[in-house]
Amino acid sequence: MSVRRVVIVDDHGLFRAGVRTELGDAVEIVGEAATVGEAIPLILETDPDVVLLDVHLPDGGGQAVIAGVALERPGVRFLALSVSDAAEDVIAVVRAGARGYVTKTISGEELTEAIDRVAEGDAVFSPRLAGFVLDAFGSGEPVRDAELDELTAREREVLRLIARGYRYKEIAASLHLSVKTVESHVSSVLRKLQLSSRHELTRWAAERRMI
Amino acid sequence: MAETGTIPARDRANGVVAGVAAGIARALGVDPTLVRLLFALLTLAAGAGIALYLAAALLMPEEPGVRTSRARRAVGLALLLLAAVAVLNGLGLPAFVQLAAAIAAAGVFFLWRRQQRLLGTLLVAAAGVLLLTRGGDLGAGGPLLTPAAFAGGLLLVVGPWLWRTVQERDAERTRRIRSEERAEVAARVHDSVLQTLALVQREADDPKRVAQLARRQERELRGWLYPEGQLFQEDTLVAAIGNAAAEVEELHGVRVEVASAGNAPLDNDGRAVVLAAREAMANAARFSGADEVSVYAEADAEAINVFVRDRGAGFDREAVPAERRGLAESIEGRMTRHGGTATIMSNPGEGTEVELTLPRKAS
Repeated sequence: MSVRRVVIVDDHGLFRAGVRTELGDAVEIVGEAATVGEAIPLILETDPDVVLLDVHLPDGGGQAVIAGVALERPGVRFLALSVSDAAEDVIAVVRAGARGYVTKTISGEELTEAIDRVAEGDAVFSPRLAGFVLDAFGSGEPVRDAELDELTAREREVLRLIARGYRYKEIAASLHLSVKTVESHVSSVLRKLQLSSRHELTRWAAERRMI
Repeated sequence: MAETGTIPARDRANGVVAGVAAGIARALGVDPTLVRLLFALLTLAAGAGIALYLAAALLMPEEPGVRTSRARRAVGLALLLLAAVAVLNGLGLPAFVQLAAAIAAAGVFFLWRRQQRLLGTLLVAAAGVLLLTRGGDLGAGGPLLTPAAFAGGLLLVVGPWLWRTVQERDAERTRRIRSEERAEVAARVHDSVLQTLALVQREADDPKRVAQLARRQERELRGWLYPEGQLFQEDTLVAAIGNAAAEVEELHGVRVEVASAGNAPLDNDGRAVVLAAREAMANAARFSGADEVSVYAEADAEAINVFVRDRGAGFDREAVPAERRGLAESIEGRMTRHGGTATIMSNPGEGTEVELTLPRKAS
């Protein structure tokens, strides 16, 4: 497996330096950007595997970066990274196309694992995001498209365990599944999160003016 | 707003002849047609409107900020004077009133320019004396005209000064509000951030303590900067769990990650769940050796569930000394008393998870 090429987009230089140190030799950092304006040309030029993307940027949110490069560089994967507590911010970036969300307090080892997962096209859900998603899909609102607007019982179980702080391996052991199956459940939830027209998701996204 | 004291520029793009009326209208923020109408009306007063227009065309610069030449200004001022005389003549006023008006105008000019104030005051006073002494010659209109002339003169003299004073007071108020805000921010930064930085320097050898200080500071600052984003209002389950997690983070220097789905108002039983959860977090922080604790709270119509999990040492229930009351009393006993349950799953070497369940009463 080749070393992942990573771009860090965050407006705090100290935080970028911290992530660089934490990741060490596990990945190759090919560039850093502090703003949307810097990030877009950098990503187009370096064509990295994964972009670590701050949800909050001074000149537009992380979704502006995704929107700016998605057409020309469809292969670049985004992992949202934030200290933000607000569900709508996180949901907006994921609906814009990020393949996951982790909080900034994540350890270097876990972050490396998350980068690998995202680079391979899987989804990465932090406990907090899992809680948001259960919330968003949890209401008794009538469902228009059962395939997209509802989570299966298994997907719910997986999300609850993620929310409880279980790693994929631990979830697999607890539910007697393979890690691969757990991953496919999470990816399926990500797809629903991005494509569902459920009212809460649309409202959250609309509040951030991204639809 | 145009700067006070500068002559507005002509507006050739929107003008009909030389852009005078359009320029004045733009500076005053009125309809140019109104200004043109005024010029037309003044033309009836022995052609004063025409003289005034020519004067304005000479005096007003073609572009803002450009000064017109001395010669143009001199001719312009002469035309202005001519127009004034024409208007006064047109009103049928006797020569001495016109003389008084001219003297007063010169005085006001000096006062406005804030040069030769003594001369200006003397000129205005002389005009006043002239009007007073000869006022009787005006006939029936005299007693009315003299006070009106005084009032108008006073306004001309005091007006600009009053205007400047009001503007300065507004600017002063804005400055004061800004400096008060600055002082408040400075006080806040001093009380919290600088104190924390000082502590961080002193405790630099103890990374755990430094991380703890930084976390507390971050939380405090965030709460101050984004008050509406605060989870910590003590009236819901999720908010209270968040508070408990923050307390444990500060007290024991571990990370507590809180996730939640759903929420419930905080009643007496709900508070018991929060207290039990806090005890479970504190236990994990003190005894497990893990540097992170995961908390997940969920609430739906049937039940409240809270999970507290660590990946630390784990323990064997049988080996816990009886005098450690935390588990038995603060967690299990408390949950039972409020009609709920506590389940503790732990294996040495694999960590611990405490599950708290409280059925919700049909209300």
